[in-house]
Amino acid sequence: MSSSNQPRIDPSDPSETPLEEAVVQRFKNPRDAFWSGIRDAAGAPAAVLFAGMVGFGAMGKTNGFDVWFTTSTSFFMFALPGQVVLLEMAITGSSALAIALAVTLTSTRFITMTVTLFPQLHQSNRNRSLYASVHLLAMTAWAISMREFHAIEARHRLSYFVGLGLLCWLISVPATILGFYLAGMVPAAVTLGLVFINPLFFLLTFTEVKPWINRTALLLGCIFGPIFFIIDRDTSLLTSGLVAGTIAYLIDRNFLRKKAGVLG
Amino acid sequence: MDALNQMSNSFSGWGLWIALVGACLGTYFCRAIGVFLSQSINQESEIFRWLAAVTYAMVAALTTRLIVMPLGLMATVPLWVRILICALAIGVMVSNPAKRLVPALLTGTLLMVGYGVIR
Repeated sequence: MSSSNQPRIDPSDPSETPLEEAVVQRFKNPRDAFWSGIRDAAGAPAAVLFAGMVGFGAMGKTNGFDVWFTTSTSFFMFALPGQVVLLEMAITGSSALAIALAVTLTSTRFITMTVTLFPQLHQSNRNRSLYASVHLLAMTAWAISMREFHAIEARHRLSYFVGLGLLCWLISVPATILGFYLAGMVPAAVTLGLVFINPLFFLLTFTEVKPWINRTALLLGCIFGPIFFIIDRDTSLLTSGLVAGTIAYLIDRNFLRKKAGVLG
Repeated sequence: MDALNQMSNSFSGWGLWIALVGACLGTYFCRAIGVFLSQSINQESEIFRWLAAVTYAMVAALTTRLIVMPLGLMATVPLWVRILICALAIGVMVSNPAKRLVPALLTGTLLMVGYGVIR
């Protein structure tokens, strides 16, 4: 390969962002990175997402929605918590406008998820095509990309992410359909396992988060999440994220790193 | 069983699809705003660090909500059982973070299924 092995290293060391470390040549070309993303998705992430979507499909069936509607939410929204809110509110007879607003509110995490993931892509990939790729972004692909990106050359990160996200997205559609038709046929104990595997997966990926600022944020998020949930359910993700994240940032800025940072 | 096009009785068919279109647009809107903002954010900036912290906190809050205050079937499992199973799975995980994701997931899931069987 003629291309440089030199990753773009900014000397203005942010000790925590897991990006500036010298990256070994991991992939030869974009196709290689893409298939590696597919392979990485094909293990635990796909299984977890599959289980979650099977559970969701069953939820749609048992509440009297049709298979087209239930599956459409997986295909077009691809955001499990939002899908669950949609069904819950439709069951309780909320208005279409209230439903749309509540779901949008649960999706605000995508703003910061995108903003923290995409700046890590190579400059040449940061163009309008990202508006298409971003549909593949969900918590599973985000968590894995955040973990893996530091070990991938910047110019191959998008290919890796698309491979990862594409498989996750594509697998969610048949999983929803399967769950819809399996509903009622599977013992409750198995359903319990299917529902539990999703949050458990997220919980386990937290143990792999390295920078102390993000570890602090995770811990505070776990504490503030339930508190704000009791205060106001719909906005609780946003408020607990902002409060816990800001406190973690301030702790990091004032205590965890010795030198004072400059606001950028 | 039921006809395929059976609708939720509390909701008319069209309203349901309109709600879905609104929900999909709202969800995509959040993703697109993120792309738009990410164009002007530097991965080495302070704002990036702060946003990463906010995102991790949000994701943690969502996960805690799913485990501590779940809806539906999971709510029938006592809280201490849910937390105990989580703790055991994390124990498996931290024994070797690089290799134990699948074993830890299996531990947690099978324990939950096991609880469902014996209760």
